[in-house]
Amino acid sequence: MSVENLKAYIESGVLELYVLGDLSPEEALQVEEMAAQHPEVKAEIAAIEQAIEQYAMQNAVEPSADVETRLLEKLGLSEVEPEKTVKPTPPVAQEASVIPFDESAGKVRILRYALVACVALLIISTAALFITYSKLNDAHDQIASLNLDKQKFAGVVSKLEFENQGLSNMAAMADSQEWATINMTGQPFSPASKMKVYWNKKDKSVLVNYVAMDLPKTDQQHEYQLWAMVNGKPVSLGVFGKNDSTSNEALVKMQAIQEAQAFAVTIEPMGGSINPTMDKLTVMGGV
Amino acid sequence: MTAFKKLTLTEPELVQQLQSKDPAVLKTLYSMYSSAIYGVISRIITHTELAEDVLQETFVKIWQSAAHYDNTKGRLFTWMMNIARNLSIDKLRSKDFKNSLKNQDIENNVSFVDEQNKVTFNPDVLGVKQLVDNLKPDLQAVLDLVYYKGFTHVEAAEKLDLPLGTVKTRIRLAIIELRRNFN
Repeated sequence: MSVENLKAYIESGVLELYVLGDLSPEEALQVEEMAAQHPEVKAEIAAIEQAIEQYAMQNAVEPSADVETRLLEKLGLSEVEPEKTVKPTPPVAQEASVIPFDESAGKVRILRYALVACVALLIISTAALFITYSKLNDAHDQIASLNLDKQKFAGVVSKLEFENQGLSNMAAMADSQEWATINMTGQPFSPASKMKVYWNKKDKSVLVNYVAMDLPKTDQQHEYQLWAMVNGKPVSLGVFGKNDSTSNEALVKMQAIQEAQAFAVTIEPMGGSINPTMDKLTVMGGV
Repeated sequence: MTAFKKLTLTEPELVQQLQSKDPAVLKTLYSMYSSAIYGVISRIITHTELAEDVLQETFVKIWQSAAHYDNTKGRLFTWMMNIARNLSIDKLRSKDFKNSLKNQDIENNVSFVDEQNKVTFNPDVLGVKQLVDNLKPDLQAVLDLVYYKGFTHVEAAEKLDLPLGTVKTRIRLAIIELRRNFN
């Protein structure tokens, strides 16, 4: 290669790129061959390298101290130094390896306090929760017993209302001239029973009053049937339930009857019978 | 300058110890060159934590591939600096780095943005900046990209919209200018 060509080669800037690591492997190889053949090229590269190196030295930035520690740890070379030095100084070495951890040790300490505080809070919270829970249970028990009381009172009140309604109706009908009250008395089947029937003289309607009756208890399959005796023949006026009926109405309207000489109640199977079961004749009374 | 001379004197020794994997040499090497190499890395990667990671990776690589260093091809520092530059540029283009940009918390972000915009007054760079400021603006632009930003000359040519040859010449002129300044 001629001197001119060599000069042009050097001035092309390729050697700078070579030093900056900015060439492809093939290009770099060419530069290396050139450098091996031409001392001028080699010298130029050395000068560029020195400039870059000096430039880097003047641009130096100190990294933080723990990078070295981390590096030596990573390469497993942390303990190398004490062996190498003539006077082993373990305290210094120890100190040196401790420093980077100071920051994290502080964090760990804070975290430890935080942990203790958390555990304490947890214990307090758990205790508070248990106390609250038992109080809540007490409250539930109280609510349950109060509910029971309330139901009991509600039952009493509705019973009282029911009786009051029946009694006031009875009193009103007794006063009224329109209504005839027929007292029925116990029959051999049930001597202690008694009952009243109200018969309206005008419209001939018939009422029974649950409050004004004392009949033997019936079972699930039986109920009471009211009869009117018309010229010696029983005429059904309908059935009615037990006297402890939960119905709110004390008065029950039965079928009307134009004329009757007597009224009677028998116990019949549910739904009533066509003819009265005479041996279950409970009460009877004449008009 | 004296420090620099002392280093050049010990370089063959360093190389010899490094290639025989003498564990003590790493500490020496680190104390001599870590700040110069970190200077290169931290200008390419402005995020301190990542830059220090790359510095560590660089020395790990220097240690592990010491056998590949050939002193006939160039100076030890050139070899180490190019390891650092390549790792920095790799990091800059990695997912890791892009994620770290997204994950900056506000506190870091303030200084990060400052560094990005070169608003802060960094005494470490001050002298150099002045030195580079003495360069003609077009030389400075090229050197900024290639040295500070880790651009290749091809990328720099694209960025500056200049022919490749011009970029190469300007890099050369900038380095000649530096040589003159140092000598």
